[in-house]
Amino acid sequence: MKYKSQKIAYWFFATCMLLLSLQLIYGFIMGFARMGFDGLHDWIPFNAARATHTNLLVVWLLTGFMGAAHYIIPEESESEIYSVRLAYIQLISLIVVGVVSIIGFHFNVWEGRKFLEIPRPLDYLVVVNVLLFLFNIGMTVWKGKRHTTTGMVLYFGLFSAALLYLPGMIEFNSQTVDSYFRWWVVHLWVEGVWELIMGGILSFLLIKLTGVDREVIEKWLYVIVGLTFLSGILGTGHHYYYIGVPEYWKWVGGFFSMLEPLAFLAMAMFAVSMYRRSGRNHPNTISLYWTIGSAIMSFVGAGFLGFAHTLPQVNLYTHGTLITAMHGHLAFWGAYAMIVLAIVTYSMPLLTGRKLWNNSIGLFAFWASNIGMLGMTGAFAVAGIAQVYLERKFGLDFLTVQKEIQVHFLGLILAALVFTSGIFAFIWNFIKFGTPTDEALGAETSSGDIHLSGRS
Amino acid sequence: MLTKFQAKLFFLIGTFIFSAIFLFLTYDSLKYVYANPSAKTLSDEVIRGKAIWEKNNCMGCHTILGEGAYYAPELTKVYERRGPEWIRVFLKDPQAMYPGERKMVKYDFTEAQIGDLIAFLKWNGELDLKGFPPKPEFKPTTQTVSANAVSIAQPEKFKQICVACHAVGGAGGNVGPALDTVGKKFDLAYLENWLRDPQKVKPGTAMPKLPLSDSEIKDLSTYLSQLK
Repeated sequence: MKYKSQKIAYWFFATCMLLLSLQLIYGFIMGFARMGFDGLHDWIPFNAARATHTNLLVVWLLTGFMGAAHYIIPEESESEIYSVRLAYIQLISLIVVGVVSIIGFHFNVWEGRKFLEIPRPLDYLVVVNVLLFLFNIGMTVWKGKRHTTTGMVLYFGLFSAALLYLPGMIEFNSQTVDSYFRWWVVHLWVEGVWELIMGGILSFLLIKLTGVDREVIEKWLYVIVGLTFLSGILGTGHHYYYIGVPEYWKWVGGFFSMLEPLAFLAMAMFAVSMYRRSGRNHPNTISLYWTIGSAIMSFVGAGFLGFAHTLPQVNLYTHGTLITAMHGHLAFWGAYAMIVLAIVTYSMPLLTGRKLWNNSIGLFAFWASNIGMLGMTGAFAVAGIAQVYLERKFGLDFLTVQKEIQVHFLGLILAALVFTSGIFAFIWNFIKFGTPTDEALGAETSSGDIHLSGRS
Repeated sequence: MLTKFQAKLFFLIGTFIFSAIFLFLTYDSLKYVYANPSAKTLSDEVIRGKAIWEKNNCMGCHTILGEGAYYAPELTKVYERRGPEWIRVFLKDPQAMYPGERKMVKYDFTEAQIGDLIAFLKWNGELDLKGFPPKPEFKPTTQTVSANAVSIAQPEKFKQICVACHAVGGAGGNVGPALDTVGKKFDLAYLENWLRDPQKVKPGTAMPKLPLSDSEIKDLSTYLSQLK
């Protein structure tokens, strides 16, 4: 690392690892419940497990984005973080809000709107917290010596994500309108502004790892986030087919959903071609795996599998079935989880000064978690397709169908075990790196980030 | 190829134009929603029902308008499918209605809360959802076994609750067996015993112990014993 305050990123990443492990536990609780083993029903009913599982996902990804910002922004703006103390206060308050919400879920305290389960009073705390974060990072950018596109896109993404949290806090009496604005948060986050964040991190990593000229990478960054917004904003319409709004959303949503994979395809092609133009052999190849992997898996999960059920004719049958869970898992994993893990693998050697890249544990973590996640996606797909045919086409009773597809959740659990072993390996490696030290200042030199370039 | 400046322009102009279109369509959609007949039937009961729905995170298991989790049935059309009486009985003790099956939390709702929830479910079921949920294309039909059974008047309770699972004369659910000739198999005393506590007669049966009064049990078993 070049700047002392980049060390803050480590504590955000460490929080990520903790929350991710918790998320896995709740995933297993749900997987077993679906197989008929819901022994925890009295303490952790399915809706509590589900809310915890998805909220932990959102919180750990946001924590990861914040960590990424604390690492990337100092380098991009060539200055220390505006206030180190504020950063720690913000992290601690984020953890407190998160923990209080999750405990609340177990006592039936929430605002039960999918993905926005955090109860209203805590929402205000989230807002204060995010404002603190944006202020701190914003001041760093403002006072920085350099204003790069990568830094600006990342900041703009984080800023818009905060702004778009607000429509989720308005109360509506009609379920239709409620659903309409809930998607303003959820869809415009994951298929809009989060992609700016992802694009920003991706571009930073590609600049560092491939050595391709910043101008070239940042130009394509604009094209990709441009494509994302072009397709993603009106693509929100694919959530509006069947909630009681005008018919034209079928056309608007259907058409722009068809364009959405293009943004992801562009992202994947961009990452791969930048890698191929790479003039240097950066020693941290594991980080390159995660970076390129993220671009490719986001195309498969978010782009392709999303497209697979957003046409209105298909969605009529798949809407509200396990098909959504199939798409959701690979999409979140590819686009957001993997990019966070990529920046973690990239920055850890530089923060701690320990050259633990390219070891077999790191490689195992990459392959096991990806193969496991693909297996889980497959299990959801088979169960989902069976559900659609039996329930929606043949009109069998919901519970009858659930019994028929129970067996596929054995497959899900087995794949989830492979996935979990990968994540454990990742966390094990993370722990082995230890905590950041000031001795690692200027570690780029020893890591080869600057000197091992093959072409300059 | 594009210059960086052109790429930036593409991003900014594209984002601006499509955001503007999106905002306009949002305005138009809200106008449509509030001009719809459903806006007029949005009573206080429905609104209270929605609050109960959210307060207990029903979406954490169920879906409504296709939104939610996929662990429990889609509830958009549950009012049409089950009827208010069935939902009322179910919400009082969900596990009693599905013995040994996937569990729902017992929420101890008051009568008034259950009424609000039913109003909420009814309101959602009446929305114009552009064909969702789809009608099954190859639904197995229940055959009429005895035309005679149709002509006998059904007690109110039967229409409210039993038909959710059982069919008579080809109409009703297909979760339990059709009841057209049940009177041939069982006599009045057996049917009364059965309705009082099915688990006692046949442990492990999917038939729930329904909250029925003595006179309701009499009516139902008299009716059933006539189905020959």
